[in-house]
Order: sequence, then C-alpha cells, then structure tokens
Amino acid sequence: MIIDGVAYLGHWPFRKLGYDTAAEMAAWMDRASIDKACVSSINSIFYKDVMEGNRELMTEISAFSGRMIPFAVINPAYPGWENDFKECFDVLGMKGLELFPAYHNYKADLPELKKLLEMAAAKGIPVRLPSRLVDIRGRHWLDTPENLSQDEMEAIVRLCPDTDFLLCSCGTANLAKRLEALSAQRKGRLFYDFARLEDCYYNHSLPNLLKTAGEDYVVFGSCSPFQYPEVQELKLDMLELSEEAYEKIASGNLKTLLGL
Amino acid sequence: MNPIHEKRRLFTENRVVNWHEHVWFDQNGQLDEALCDALVEDAARTSTDVVVCSLPILAQKVTAEEFRHCNDTLAIAMKRYPDVIKGFAFVNPGYSKEAVEEIDRCVKEYGMIGIKMYYQYYINDPIVRPVIEKCIDLDIPILVHASKLNYHPEEQPFVSNGVHFAAAAKAYPEARFIMAHITGGGDWEWSLKAVADTPNVYTDMSGSVIDARVIEKAVAMLGAKRVLFGTDGSYLSCVGKILAANISDEDKKIILNNPDFERYLNRANA
Repeated sequence: MIIDGVAYLGHWPFRKLGYDTAAEMAAWMDRASIDKACVSSINSIFYKDVMEGNRELMTEISAFSGRMIPFAVINPAYPGWENDFKECFDVLGMKGLELFPAYHNYKADLPELKKLLEMAAAKGIPVRLPSRLVDIRGRHWLDTPENLSQDEMEAIVRLCPDTDFLLCSCGTANLAKRLEALSAQRKGRLFYDFARLEDCYYNHSLPNLLKTAGEDYVVFGSCSPFQYPEVQELKLDMLELSEEAYEKIASGNLKTLLGL
Repeated sequence: MNPIHEKRRLFTENRVVNWHEHVWFDQNGQLDEALCDALVEDAARTSTDVVVCSLPILAQKVTAEEFRHCNDTLAIAMKRYPDVIKGFAFVNPGYSKEAVEEIDRCVKEYGMIGIKMYYQYYINDPIVRPVIEKCIDLDIPILVHASKLNYHPEEQPFVSNGVHFAAAAKAYPEARFIMAHITGGGDWEWSLKAVADTPNVYTDMSGSVIDARVIEKAVAMLGAKRVLFGTDGSYLSCVGKILAANISDEDKKIILNNPDFERYLNRANA
C-alpha cells in the first residue's frame, strides 16, 4: 500500500499539469498504484480567499473521499484566517494543514503564524510545509521568485514545539541533519519526504536522510501531479528495505501522523 | 510488493545506453577511481549497458592544457571499464586551433565518440564554428550543456538554450547536436518549442527535475528518436522518469537505445 503524503489538486496557471480534477487524479494514482493521497488545493495558493479553494477541493473529492485526504491551505496573513481554520477542521473535516509563506508573502515572524501553529497543535493537525512546488530555474516569470529557505523552515518549526510537521520538496537530508538536535527536544514530530533526494554514485542524500531521521519519520511524497510519483517508488525499491521498513515509509508513518 | 518493481523489466530486458554521465577528478587532479567505480556499479544495478561520459570543467575559463588533462583522465576511465564507459572529449571552443586538434586526438588516439562543450560560449557563437565543422568531418555528435534559466541567469551567462541550438543547427544541418539535460533545471518547454523544427537537434533526458509530462511532451514534439536516455548524476530520478512516462514501450526502447546513435557506439575504445 502506498499513501502519497504530498499531492495537489486544481489548476496550476504556469504549466498544464493535465490532472486538475479528482477523477483525473484518481486515474493518475491508479497508473502509479497509489492507494491514497493527501491533497490540497492549488487554487488556494492563488485565490486571495483561500477558503474558496478549500471548499472547491472538498466538493471535488467528495466522490473519492476514501482515496483523497484533504489538507487545508490557510493564509495567516489574510483577515479571517481563524474562521477559516474553524471551518476547515470543525466543519469540513480536513485532516492536515499546508502553508505557503513564499506565495502568501509572509515570514516566520508573522505573529498570526505562531498562533495558527498552536491551534493546529492543539487539535492534532499536522502541518505540511513545502519549500517549493516547481524547480526555480525554469519557473514562470510571474511565479514566486523564492523557495522557502531552510532558514525559514527551521524558524517556522521553532515557533511551536508541539506541532507535527511534514517538511517536504527540498533537500530534506540536509534539513533533517540541521534539525536533528531540535527534533529530540520538541514534542511535535518532524517527518520528511524524499522527493528531491537521490541515491547514486554522485549523491547519497536518500540514505543519509534515513540515517538521520530514521525510518519512522520518512514518508512517501511525490508532489503529484507536478512530478512523476514513480520516481519515488523506484528510489524506495532500489533501497532494498526490509518489508517492515518499506511499509512504514510507503504508508505506515503517514497513517501514524494522520491517525488513519 | 513495490509497484515499480515489475516495470524495471524495461531496463533488464533491453539494451540501455546512457548518453550523459561524467567521471570526475579526485582532490589531486587525477581520476576519482572510487567515484568512477561507483558510477559503473550504478550502471549495473540499473541494468545500463553503456555509459557515455565526459569530464568537463564547470567554469567560464578553461585553458587548452586543462581540457587536454580532462580528456587524458577520461581515457583512463575508459580503459578501466572498456565495455561500459565510452568517452566524449571536452573542449573549450574559445581555443579554436587547440580544440580542433584535441578532438582529432581524442577520437583517433582514445576512441572517443563525440564531444562535450560547457557554457564557455553559446553554441551558435561564430567562435564555435571550427569545432562544429571538425565534428561533421569526423561524424561525431556534439553534446552541449544547456538550460533556459528564468531565474538567476547571471550564474551561467553563456549557457545555450533551445534558441541557440536551433540557430546552430540551421547553420549546420549536417551536424548532430545534443541539447543536454532537458530536465536539468531550466525552462524545458521553451527549449523544446525552440528546437522542434530542427531535426538535427536531439536532447537527453538527464537532470534532477522530475516534472510530470516532460518526457511525454519531448516525445510528442521531437519524436522518440530525438530523445536520448541520460542521467547526469541523477541516476534513479532519470530511470524513474522513463519508467513513469506515459508513452509506448516502443518509444521507451528507442530512447534507451537510440538506433540513430548506434553507429557511434560501434567505434571501439582505443
């Protein structure tokens, strides 16, 4: 069984992804033999009112509720975010929260961000924090010119020691090393994807992540449909893990994180 | 069972040629043998039969003496693994006379089967003409580092993108250009569109970017025969991309072992 912890649904304005609807996404998952995916709304990255995208997402996936696990996008720099939080988790029943500081134009020092993270921790809602969605080198000229830096990721993680994070779409081996000591001191858990890592003669970042974070804190995340999920499946296959370790990374750790 | 496991048969059951890899210097400026050995191990574990390598210097200024040393070092790797490693000679076209002589030396003395240029000059810069003409004379392909950088272009000011390749290819329709790593981090849609109508520009699919649909779009716009398998240090990502691509198995087999490039491989290492 594979649960994809990093997936998206909606329209990306800068390149045709081709899998914008839940039905298309389900077919995409079938091709890659992915059982479930944690999806958030791409539209909420661009809509000023993120809730329009969150509600669209819930409607879109309603026929696939067993396969698609909704993550809410909330912008703490925009008015009404506390009501957005309540609607997403108390009314819509979303399972995770995703933040896009580079798109929503705020930094770790935004006071509302700390409060949002504390609210998530209090409800046991994990927070997904991607560094980027597409490679910066070929990025569209109207897209954000920044990735979320590892300095900023660390600063955000430090805001609330009780919050569970899924840190993704970056050099997570280096990030895990950087946060290793901090991770041991905090109650909230830090999980990492490996979508930007490799394991070959030139680059052993994936085994390095496993060594640093441990097999209990590495999760499958493909950044679908931006990226090919099969690449992550191949990396897992080539690691020749024990059956138990494979199961944890492919689905078990996300089940633990999400209480599935 | 990991669902990808069965798909790996595409590699185990077919001949696979990797057209974009490298060997590197160690700290003493000699062949990094451990890295070279590890590369060949990667080839074995992914069922890659042939790995075409170069040893470029990633800098704006590279002297003739330096590129000769690169090629002498690559030749050591070719001798170390004669059945696996084939060589592309690295030259800086700014040294026209020396570059042309070096290409001749590498092909005739070492059995190299192509050349590699980096970003010292745009591929359509007039200074590159003698090098291109030499490659036409020797019937060898020209692999050139490529990227369309929409952000931080100042980091590689003379890097060629599809527009430069199209211009060079139109000037030299008898030359065979490989626009390197279409998934190497630049705007791949830009470069694919730019070279779509120039049949003597090929691309390799090496690079760390794993954008969905890039292989499908490259095949749709260029045809599978103009797409070569390559890895360039992102070995598993690139194997995974070809396994993932929603194209026919026949097209995948062409990419993995392009029949139009077979004749170069038949030239044995010296």
